[in-house]
Amino acid sequence: MAPAIETKGLTKDYRSPVKEPGLWGGIRSLVNRRYKDIRAVNDVSLRIEEGELVGFLGANGAGKTTTLKMLSGLLTPTAGEALALGHVPWRREAAFQKKLSLVMGQRSQLWWELPAYETFRLNQAIYGIAEADFKMHLDELVDLLDLGEHLSVPVKKLSLGERMRAELAAALLHGPRLLLLDEPTIGLDVVMQKKVREFVKAYNQRHGATIMLTSHNMTDVVALCKRVIVIERGRILYDGALDRLVESYADHKILRVRFSTPVTASDLRTLGSVVHCEGESATLEVPRANVSASAAALLRSYPVADLNVEEVAIDDIVRRLFSHS
Amino acid sequence: MKKYLVAYSIALQETLQRRSTLLMDRLGGFAIVVSLYSFWNALLGDKPSFLGYTRSEMLTYVLLINVLRSFVFTGRGWQLVGEISSGRISSYLVRPISYHGYSLALDMAQKTVHAVSAFLEVALLAWLISGGIFLPRDPATWALFAAAAVLSSLVFFFLEMLVSSLAFWTSESGGPLFCFELFLQFAAGAFFPLDVLPEGIQRLLSATPFPYMVFFPARIFLDKVPHPEALRLLAVELAWLAAVVFAALGLWRQGVQSYAAEGG
Repeated sequence: MAPAIETKGLTKDYRSPVKEPGLWGGIRSLVNRRYKDIRAVNDVSLRIEEGELVGFLGANGAGKTTTLKMLSGLLTPTAGEALALGHVPWRREAAFQKKLSLVMGQRSQLWWELPAYETFRLNQAIYGIAEADFKMHLDELVDLLDLGEHLSVPVKKLSLGERMRAELAAALLHGPRLLLLDEPTIGLDVVMQKKVREFVKAYNQRHGATIMLTSHNMTDVVALCKRVIVIERGRILYDGALDRLVESYADHKILRVRFSTPVTASDLRTLGSVVHCEGESATLEVPRANVSASAAALLRSYPVADLNVEEVAIDDIVRRLFSHS
Repeated sequence: MKKYLVAYSIALQETLQRRSTLLMDRLGGFAIVVSLYSFWNALLGDKPSFLGYTRSEMLTYVLLINVLRSFVFTGRGWQLVGEISSGRISSYLVRPISYHGYSLALDMAQKTVHAVSAFLEVALLAWLISGGIFLPRDPATWALFAAAAVLSSLVFFFLEMLVSSLAFWTSESGGPLFCFELFLQFAAGAFFPLDVLPEGIQRLLSATPFPYMVFFPARIFLDKVPHPEALRLLAVELAWLAAVVFAALGLWRQGVQSYAAEGG
């Protein structure tokens, strides 16, 4: 079977003006503007099969969004080839666009002053969705996303989480085969993040749609993706199973503790490596296998007011990966 | 076609939803008409005519400006500049829809609401100044005027799209758009009839599409243009429209190609 996405040597350069510092620099750039080429994506080759749910990781400016934009046809690459669902994305053929959806966490396609239902109707017309299919998809999405009573409220009155879910519904009414999600949980609270994650997973399972998502949020990726692609400075650093990546580069978790009385770093050294300890707060790195033991010991032996167990930030994993490469 | 009709209907709902914005827009337009009206009224004084316009013709011109402003000068230029610079344009480019067709549908919704309110305002003013208005008797004049107004609004729409597309290359395209709109209002005759200007400037302006937007439609309405000449003007305006559409779509295609999708 043909893959959902296949790219060879995908490369994108941006041209950005260079301004020298100070007023004189400003005047000079008015008369004689100089530019410098920045390579946002560098020789990216990847293959994603139909129905896969792939996490796309990397720090800010690593090239994630640029790659998604090329795959959705928004950007034309400087070099390289890509096929998405059998189409060259940047030709922007209607047949391709009807099978695609791009959701950017910070962008909205909903009409602000009107209830989301009106945008849904507009998308029905744009994508030429038959009335019966529209009703069926809408019912399913309203149910999965718990949108019921929010459909008749003007979008501006919705909370960020409600809006994001309405946004997802608007993006999925036409039943896309390929879904590109750029930071779908950004700005949402923990409960909403979980809802959105559960929805993405359910959608992938029910419809067999290929999903590629970028996120800063390690929890998103752990909950959803078996396979991850890590990108740094435009190049693919890692492409493979998430389990193997986490085992190799995030072999520990972070314990964040707040005590009711001050504690010194030397007290905590037996529990893990102390990243930070000042007065009543401390941060420890603890090997994954020892997390429960260390947390229990902390609670038993110290006046703990608050304790949080966190995954290592994606940026940290990527940094480790980067320093190893 | 259905998608554009749905877009039109949604935009109509939204325009009506933003009641205070609509009210402010209308009050602004009304203030311009009232001030122009008072200005010309003072200039005319007791004179039966001034610069080739009778009293009722000049006052009608001023009222026509209000209708034409509302119908012609409502493009989507600022929205396009905003959507390009914020990156929101992306959400249209990945959907199977023509941005120009979609924007035109939205613009038509705006025009519908504004033209209806402008018409009501003018009717109110005409009633207040009782009988001082020139109304053409020949239905052909009305038809020619309507055709000219529709063509003007399309020319304006695509001109704005053309100028706003510069935002694909520079984040500072608001400046050119602002200057363009200001110059256009003057050159279109939206402040005063262009034939009060020196001959040379008139000749220069008639080589541009601008006078076709307010000045010529208004002159057609005032029966100052014989019908065969009016048809010739419409043909020229049609040619301008074709040229502007061609340029706007061409620049758009180039812009989208080089679009860097700024804003993340």
